[in-house]
Amino acid sequence: MTHVQHTFTASSVIPVSAGIGLRSQHYNDVLETHPTVGWFEVHSENYFGKGGAPLLYLEKIREDYPISLHGVGMSLGSVDVLDGQHLAQLKRLIDRIEPGLVSEHLSWGSFGGDYLNDLAPLPYTEEALLHMANRIAQAQDFIGRQILVENPSSYLEYQHSSYKEQDFLNELSRRTGCGILLDVNNAYVSCHNHGWDALDYLQGIAADRVGEIHLAGHTVNRVAGMDILIDTHNQPVCADVWALYETALQVVGAKPTLIEWDTDVPALSPLIAEAQQANSCLGVGHELAA
Amino acid sequence: MNSLHETQRRFTNYALRDMGQELAAEDIKSNGLTAQQRLAIYRNNTQMGLTEALRDGYPVVNKLVGTEFFNQLARSFIRRHPPKAGCLLSFGGQFGDFIATFESAASLPYLPDMARLEWCWHEAFHEADATALELASLAKVAATAYSKLGFTLHPSARLLASDYPILKIWQSNQEDYEGDGGINLDENGCHLLIYRPHWDVVIVPLPEAEHQFLDLLAMELTLIQAVEQVMVKAPDFAVQAVLQRWLNNGLLTNIVYKP
Repeated sequence: MTHVQHTFTASSVIPVSAGIGLRSQHYNDVLETHPTVGWFEVHSENYFGKGGAPLLYLEKIREDYPISLHGVGMSLGSVDVLDGQHLAQLKRLIDRIEPGLVSEHLSWGSFGGDYLNDLAPLPYTEEALLHMANRIAQAQDFIGRQILVENPSSYLEYQHSSYKEQDFLNELSRRTGCGILLDVNNAYVSCHNHGWDALDYLQGIAADRVGEIHLAGHTVNRVAGMDILIDTHNQPVCADVWALYETALQVVGAKPTLIEWDTDVPALSPLIAEAQQANSCLGVGHELAA
Repeated sequence: MNSLHETQRRFTNYALRDMGQELAAEDIKSNGLTAQQRLAIYRNNTQMGLTEALRDGYPVVNKLVGTEFFNQLARSFIRRHPPKAGCLLSFGGQFGDFIATFESAASLPYLPDMARLEWCWHEAFHEADATALELASLAKVAATAYSKLGFTLHPSARLLASDYPILKIWQSNQEDYEGDGGINLDENGCHLLIYRPHWDVVIVPLPEAEHQFLDLLAMELTLIQAVEQVMVKAPDFAVQAVLQRWLNNGLLTNIVYKP
């Protein structure tokens, strides 16, 4: 069936206020209660199907809210050829939903056509920088717009890395024009896991390149007598991450901020409460958040 | 120091298949934990993440075998059939065939067909939308064109046959099921149509002849060819009633004229 191009009533622009990660459990609640939330973000790949309920709901919600498309499967840093079908599916979704932002990760997740469905770390080397910049440029050319690239949570570092993660991201942005999605929880997790200084990390990020911030919950795992933080998105944002978020706002300025929760997803109301907390940090009045 | 290519090859082998941990650990900083312990976090995340993705698509198989056994099935499956795209909608399609070869699942002979049913449901859920054929367009078919007339089925339509009562087993394992749960495995098998007329997927049990008829239409035979084949085994096949039923229920979406 040919799709009729929409022109949505709601603006496509993601406002500088808090948004919520939209999951299928929330569709009916959002449509029935029309909560005061600035915007929603979805995982792009969940809407790569040809039709059916997911796209129907997303379009309905897009009628009332700006939407950001966040990808988890493009495998930007992989040495495999960039998947043309994946890019075409993303472009089709962009044409249909008219998102305010499109984002992906500073990571790779496939080799030889086998996919890990995970965000694996890159060595931060000259070789990886050239490769990643080339891939971001290809992807941006294909979809015809800017991509924000997110700093990942990581659990290992390569000995031959010659860049700090924040410098690697800045350099990618400078070379390709991509934006930076600063995930404050990921920064917290990675800094803890590798003994990096979180303030140094935030101050090292090119503030004018940051287009969005993510906040989420993580899990503390005890491994061989050491606490390792795992990026699980299965609980509220912790106090330390809220504090680091406040610092991040001072360092990079107020940016659209997403509350993410992906596993054991709760009802909408606790997410709205976290979004309100982010709005207070942003200085967004309740009445301006809509 | 390995190239980016070699680093990713080794990492993938270990994360997906538990192979070559020592090779994958080269070039990784230890920093409080060993490189192997750090790598193992990724292996666990990858394998658990894919196991949960598979469980999401196969809730009844998971319920029938229990979490522990499902995890074993999933681990073996992932090694042989890892995702082939960054979008997971196509991941897990061979699970039914895989279970059929998995020896310790042999005590549940209906399990492969249950997995196939759940995959049909998953595919139908995400398939393209289509509008039903209007009765009026059928009325316009010229009598001279009848011999070439065929139908397109809704893109979500899947036809599945099983020697086991898998629909009853599927129904009794749904959250809102209110029956007594007693299933007689010696009961006859079933012929099923799975499709999504609007937004909800439905599973319809069919008489064998009707199932065969729809299957032949889906294989692009003409109406007359399909009826002739069905009537070899079912001489009393009521084609008009069957066509009427599926026109009314949005399964037939287009008329086609075969050369």
